[in-house]
Order: sequence, then structure tokens, then C-alpha cells
Amino acid sequence: MKVKVLFFGVLSEVTGTGTKYYDDVKSIEHLKLRTADDYPEIVHYNFQVSLNNEIIKSDTPLKDGDEIAFLPPFAGG
Amino acid sequence: MTKYLTKGPITTDQIAAEVANLGKRKNTGGHSIFIGQVRDDISEGRRVRSIEYSAYNEMVSTEAEKIKKIVFNEFSDILEIILIHATGTVEAGEISMFVLVSAGHRDHAIRACRHTVELIKERLPVWKKEIFADNTYRWQKNA
Repeated sequence: MKVKVLFFGVLSEVTGTGTKYYDDVKSIEHLKLRTADDYPEIVHYNFQVSLNNEIIKSDTPLKDGDEIAFLPPFAGG
Repeated sequence: MTKYLTKGPITTDQIAAEVANLGKRKNTGGHSIFIGQVRDDISEGRRVRSIEYSAYNEMVSTEAEKIKKIVFNEFSDILEIILIHATGTVEAGEISMFVLVSAGHRDHAIRACRHTVELIKERLPVWKKEIFADNTYRWQKNA
């Protein structure tokens, strides 16, 4: 299975990318561990996580084709 | 599909086009407009030259619809809500956000417009990078 991960705002700079694909991640928490392995600096930043355009607050299983976004605090307006 | 984002600053022509559409609803008594502009703040001795806005486009659409639903539910008498946010580079003095709320009566239009602006700042997945006159930058977040 493969999921698409998007990094926005300052996190796009921290990771050096806006988009990354991950194989075999079982859940949001598992994904966070994998991204922290790839980008250790990310743990110093405050962010929310969305799954298929909805903010999620607790660990959630992932399935093939899911789109997850790491969202720093918003700054619109 | 409703358009909530523009590339570059919002232009006065775009605003004029929205205003030109007003009046089609004969039951409207008031329209309240908010125009957000990039301000040339000074931060730590550096003056803001422009802001680079980025957005999670698909989620902007989802959240904009939710914002409109919240405002329609919280205020009676609201007839239309238009909200547009700029993306890309917006120079100091240029327009970054436009909100127009139409209602049967002015009090609801004004209050709903204010609430829409606050909800945009709280919920719309948009990020901004302040670009200073010395070409340095800083990622900004809403208070």
C-alpha cells in the first residue's frame, strides 16, 4: 500500500519537499515515526495532521491511496 | 466549482466584478465587505516588503464550505458569503483577502462578515512567509 504525504508551510522547508510517498505505514502514528526518522528536525515543530482533507486528532489506520498532510499553524487572512 | 483562491494579489477588478453582481437579490438590505491588505510591518528592524502565501488547495475548498455553513447557521438572514484568498506573492499595499457578506439587514451582514474573517484566520489552510526588504524572510503564524 502507498500513501501520499504533503508538507506545508515551514515543514516544506524542513523536509526539503512538498510531497513524499510512503509504503507500508499502518497508521498516522506510524507515519509520524517514519517521518521523524527521515526528517529528525520535524519533531521541533508544532503541526496538525489531516487525512483526506479532514483534521484528525487521534491515531487512525491508513489505507492505500490515503492523502495525509502535515499542517503547521495556519496563517491566512 | 466555487473559486476561493487566486494566484497573486486580489485585484480591484475582481472586487468590482463581485460588487457588480450585487443587487440581483432584491431581498438584500446590506452588504458588508472586508478587504485584507499586506501591511509593511517592521519586525526586529526589518520592514516587510511582501508576503508569500501558500495553501492546501483541496482543503481550502472543504474548509471554506464549512466556514460558510457555520456562518449561515449562526446568523439568520444571511443570503450570500463570498470569500477569496490570495496565493503566491502579494506586495505590501496589495490585497490578500476579500470577504463579502450579503444579508437582509445590515447588522447581520456586518457581524457575519466579521465572523467569517475570524473563521478564515482560524481554519483556512493557508501559510505566509514574510519577505523583508533585505531579502530575509520569516514564517508567520496567526496569533
